[in-house]
Amino acid sequence: MNICSLVVQTRPDRAQAVEQRLLALPGVEIHGGRAEGKLIVTVEDTGRSEVADTLASIKGVEGVINTVLIYHYGGDDLEAV
Amino acid sequence: MKITRREFIKSQAAVVAAATAGVTLPVSITAVAAEGDEGVRWDKAPCRFCGTGCSVLVGVKDDKVVASQGDPDAPVNRGLNCIKGYFLPKIMYGKDRLIQPLLRKKNGRFAKDGDFEPVSWDEAFDVMAAKWKEAIAKDLKDNAGKPVDQLTSRVAMFGSGQWAVWEGYAASKLMKGGLRSNNLDPNARHCMASAVVAFIRAFGIDEPMGCYDDLEHADAFVLWGANMAEMHPILWSRLTDTRLTKPGCEVHVLSTFENRCFELADNPIVFTPHTDLVILNYIANHIIRNKAYNQAFIDRHVNFTKTPTDIGYGLRPEHPLERKAANAGKGKLTKIGFEEYAESVAPYTLDKAHEMSGVPKERLERLAKLYADPNKKIASYWTMGFNQHTRGVWVNGLLYNVHLLMGKLSEPGNSPFSLTGQPSACGTAREVGTFVHRLPADLVVKKPEHRAFSERVWQLPAGTINGKVGYHAVLMQRMLKDGKLNCYWQLCNNNMQAGPNINEEMYPGWRNPDNFITVSDPYPTVSAQAADLVLPTAMWVEKEGAYGNAERRTQFWREQVAAPGEAKSDLWQIMEFAKRFKAEEVWPQELVDKKPEYRGKTLYDILFANGTVDKFPYAGKILDDRGNAYQNHESAHFGYYVQKGLFEEYRRFNSAPDIPKKGHEMAPFDTYHKVRGQRWPVIDGKETLWRFRGGYDPHVAGDQTTVDFYGNPDGRANIIFAPYEPPAESPDQEYDLWLCTGRVLEHWHSGSMTRRVPELYRAVPDAVLFMHKKDARKRKLRDGQLAKITTPRGELTARVETRGRNRPPEGLVFIPWFDASRLVNKLILDATDPLSKQTDYKKNICKVVKV
Repeated sequence: MNICSLVVQTRPDRAQAVEQRLLALPGVEIHGGRAEGKLIVTVEDTGRSEVADTLASIKGVEGVINTVLIYHYGGDDLEAV
Repeated sequence: MKITRREFIKSQAAVVAAATAGVTLPVSITAVAAEGDEGVRWDKAPCRFCGTGCSVLVGVKDDKVVASQGDPDAPVNRGLNCIKGYFLPKIMYGKDRLIQPLLRKKNGRFAKDGDFEPVSWDEAFDVMAAKWKEAIAKDLKDNAGKPVDQLTSRVAMFGSGQWAVWEGYAASKLMKGGLRSNNLDPNARHCMASAVVAFIRAFGIDEPMGCYDDLEHADAFVLWGANMAEMHPILWSRLTDTRLTKPGCEVHVLSTFENRCFELADNPIVFTPHTDLVILNYIANHIIRNKAYNQAFIDRHVNFTKTPTDIGYGLRPEHPLERKAANAGKGKLTKIGFEEYAESVAPYTLDKAHEMSGVPKERLERLAKLYADPNKKIASYWTMGFNQHTRGVWVNGLLYNVHLLMGKLSEPGNSPFSLTGQPSACGTAREVGTFVHRLPADLVVKKPEHRAFSERVWQLPAGTINGKVGYHAVLMQRMLKDGKLNCYWQLCNNNMQAGPNINEEMYPGWRNPDNFITVSDPYPTVSAQAADLVLPTAMWVEKEGAYGNAERRTQFWREQVAAPGEAKSDLWQIMEFAKRFKAEEVWPQELVDKKPEYRGKTLYDILFANGTVDKFPYAGKILDDRGNAYQNHESAHFGYYVQKGLFEEYRRFNSAPDIPKKGHEMAPFDTYHKVRGQRWPVIDGKETLWRFRGGYDPHVAGDQTTVDFYGNPDGRANIIFAPYEPPAESPDQEYDLWLCTGRVLEHWHSGSMTRRVPELYRAVPDAVLFMHKKDARKRKLRDGQLAKITTPRGELTARVETRGRNRPPEGLVFIPWFDASRLVNKLILDATDPLSKQTDYKKNICKVVKV
């Protein structure tokens, strides 16, 4: 079980469009950062895709300038809760 | 509101990311995260991988690392992580962790040609100690009556720039103080030996004068054979920020092929391999011809010297190239005047530099003008491109020449800076001195007064420490093959994959029936599989540790989780092994007679239970300031706070009033558990950002206009002229391509850890052959097709990549070495820099055909 967070840098005027594209990827949620052009993104494993693949796709999304990885949770205790 | 644990973790992940980016999140999310996670204990630890020294926060639950994040309080990485650091905790949880010792056996007994069977630690050490004693008995006979500076030894330890500081210190004590063998070298020999020798030759003291703060202070950056974008990504992100935000800032990138750094390059320079020697002499010539040099600085702070030429390639003495060399291995400097220096660089004109390097003149000139501009502050960075170079010491020195001519060093933004590849190449290999010629804190075995000082600190009889320099990394392998070295213990590295000329010079020595090979590792690496005895090792936060990074920063961590099975730290292994030897088994009678109270005692008693190392009690757990408790398996086993005792004794070498070489002072042990590291020299609790200059370095009186290169007796640094000399081999009709090996972002070195992280493995599963489209087409090769790469040493196959992250020019190919199924270093000649003994992995010849 993986949950990751990252900062996705984009131009502020394109943040909304980039956000829509990112949300189409599996396991992605966006928590803020539109105004600054630094989207706060979490990614988690889903049945159809693993975090590593989603992270790789994010780099290729149109309008994404840079991605910076911040946090990783890899415990196997989440399913039980 | 009832929330699930999953939602809670997600909120926490988001809040941490937002804090790092300076973004404000809605209250609903932060409220969830603020509830706190009772189950997880957080603590800091430096990253296990490169020499940058990022700090990560490690979250532990039920004795397992379940979470990690970049440490927002760390000055190095400020909350950021690279992809390797991101998945760092997973390196400990590979499915094939070694959890018990394995010995090759047949019919219940050790047999060189037997199969691995699990054994107890007792049996492992019994068999190993018997072999070592056999070899040492022969040494005692061979060395009878010889003076202390002519002693030979048949036992060796090959250590690591990934060892914790006290592991290297304990290893040095056991080998040099106990077993009287200087055959102790680290894998750092393959990594930064050239940088070290160049520091000593120019400044008389090791390690950079500047620090990472220069990444913000500099006006311009020049990369000399350093692919920072992949190998030091966090430093690269700081450099990128400066480039994008500081007006007029520029980045010059030099390499023998285009890499990811070229995306940011204002002045991209791809040069013919080895001609960095020419380019640097051209820049010095440009500075002199235009009288741009800093006259006052060179008058007061610089000596001009030259180095012997035609020095060979560090090969076996019978190799034709060595026989031909007039001054093989020589490096003694001769003083010259400014005029002679100016004449020496005069032939290195723009025309000549252009012709030899293949670089367009306007780019060379732009680079030279940058260095010659007195108003531009320049940070120069290099890693393996400079160091893995048969003239690596020279080329390091030529860059210092340029900085010294301009007086551009030892102040914010002006910084010639050697980046390191391992987390403690500086802290352990260099500062503790786990090299064949070194003792702690820049002392050397050759100097009787340094040996005498070390013997006093270690409470050893006078004349214990061997004054003869031992077998360095590459020579160890040759000596194993020749049967002159019979016992070899490799810890914390994977030399059978990392070392050069594996098939001809390494593997035969390991399987030589006269030799006994021990490998300590967490995983069944290529090295472990080629050994006779494999010892399972505790790694990273499974033990208490300390690393020293490239900017002189010493960082500590506590043990966070227990090691699996019977795996034990290298520190435990070294100290336990010392219990197997009695003084009279390893020392001649006359030495024991000097300290008769040591008769009957073990090396453990003499070296570790010596009243100093065992001074600090262990209360059964380690507590931090927040009341969290941690285990410490070594201290529980030996009955005292082992790490503290070793570190405090080590400080006798670098921080006591009577030390032979000042300038490496460190803070007391307890300080480092509280701070995010400190850069030495640390005096009165204050760290040093820039060395050799008043106002910054406590060893230099006066203000910021005062410079004192106090590593040298006359306080001056050496400008050292060295010419261009060709590499050991260059492409010819048969082997028509340059072969360069190196690393990739996703994997660390031989991949023994990162290839076991599923996310990193999937990202880059196999090593590929990077080559130019035209070179591929000439050989009827297309992207993704299998090619055979052959050198005079061997061959392997890999898939062709012409559009990837590395874009070689025509005539050069690049293969990374992380891939255990493609041991590319078996293709590499064991040619070294004759002064630093570091192998050149960047300039071999090869041919490529379609499979």
